[in-house]
Amino acid sequence: MQSYYTLIASLPQLPRAFDDGPIPISAATLRHRVSMLDHHDRQIVQQVSDFFRWDRQPRDRSDAEISATHRRLVAEIRHPLVAQVVHHRFEMRMLIAALRCQRGGLPPPVFPELPLAVWIQRHWDEPCFRLNDRFRWLPRFCQAIEDHQPRRAQWHLFTELWNHWSRLNDQYTFSFESVVLYLSRWEILHRWASQNEQRGRQRFNDLVDDILQTGGVTC
Amino acid sequence: MDEPMVEMLGRIGIYAPLFLGAIGSILGCAAGGQAACGAMLDVEGGYGRLIGVSALPSSQTIYGIVVMLSMNGSFQIQAAPGMFAIGTLCGLALLFSGWFQGKCCASAIHATKSKPEVFGLSVAPAAIVEGFAVFAFVFALILAGGLPSAAGGS
Repeated sequence: MQSYYTLIASLPQLPRAFDDGPIPISAATLRHRVSMLDHHDRQIVQQVSDFFRWDRQPRDRSDAEISATHRRLVAEIRHPLVAQVVHHRFEMRMLIAALRCQRGGLPPPVFPELPLAVWIQRHWDEPCFRLNDRFRWLPRFCQAIEDHQPRRAQWHLFTELWNHWSRLNDQYTFSFESVVLYLSRWEILHRWASQNEQRGRQRFNDLVDDILQTGGVTC
Repeated sequence: MDEPMVEMLGRIGIYAPLFLGAIGSILGCAAGGQAACGAMLDVEGGYGRLIGVSALPSSQTIYGIVVMLSMNGSFQIQAAPGMFAIGTLCGLALLFSGWFQGKCCASAIHATKSKPEVFGLSVAPAAIVEGFAVFAFVFALILAGGLPSAAGGS
C-alpha cells in the first residue's frame, strides 16, 4: 500500500486564490518532492505534466492535431481523476475555441469526440451556445472578451479551474489524488505568475529603451 | 466444541488486545510519523512537537498490555469464551482507534505546519479518538473482572 503522508505533508499550503501571493514552492523543489513517488505514480504524474505542457501549446496547432492528441490521451490515461482533469480542461479549451470562431464569424472547428462538441454544433448560432447554466463562468468570460480584456477573461478561466480543482481536492486527504490536484493547481499558479513575468520583462525592456533613447527613466 | 479449541480461543482472547492494539499503534504512528517527516522538510523549527504528535497512537499498545495482563491470571476453561469475546472486541477497538488516531495526527501535523497557532486545537480530534480507546480499555477491564479466572473475578 503506497503511502502519501510524507509527500503531502512536505508540500507547502497553496494560497486560497491563484492570484493571491507568490508561488509557495519552486518547480525544482516540487520536482524533487514528487520524486518520492513510486514508479507507477511517477508515470501518472508525468502524464499530467505532459498534458499541461501540451496545454501551453503554441496556437499554430491544427484542430486535427488537437483531436488526435485527445484520442491518444483518452486511450493512454487510466487513472480516473487524471482523466477527469484532462476531460474538464478539454471541455474548456473547446468552448473557448468555439467562442473565438463564433465571434470571428468562422465555421465550427473540428472538435475532439466529446458530447459537448455535439451540443455546441447544434446550438452554434445561439449566444454562448445556450451553455450559460452549465458553465457559470461562460457569461463572465464572454463579457471580458467583448470588453477587450483578455487578461480578465484569462482570470475567469483560471478562477473556474482553480475552484473546480479545489472542490475536488476537498474530497481527498493524503492520497495520490491530492498530489495530482496539488500539481494541477500549482500549474495554474505558475501560469498566472508567468504572465506577470512577461509583463515584468516587457516593463524592463521599456525602461531600457527609455534610458537608451532619452538618457533618463520616466516614471 | 472441543476443549483444546475452546482453550485456544481463550488464549487468543488474552493476547488479542495487545496484538491488535499494537497493529493499531503501528499503523497510526507510521501515518503520523511519515507526515511529521514530510512536514519537517517544509518548516524551519518546532520539529519536536511534530514528532511528539506522531507518537500519540502508541498508547493503544499500552492499553492492550494492561488488558492482556488483567486476563492472564489462572486460566479456566469456563472463562475462555468470555475472554475471547472481550479480548478480540477490545483489540479491534484499539486497532481502529490507533489507526484513525494516526490519520488525525497526520492532519494535525499538516495543519500546524501552515498555521502553528492552531496546534492545540488541531490535536483535539486525535485526543477525542483517544477517548474512545480509553472507553474500550476501561470497560474491557471491568468486564474481564467478571470472568471466572480473571483477577478479582468470581
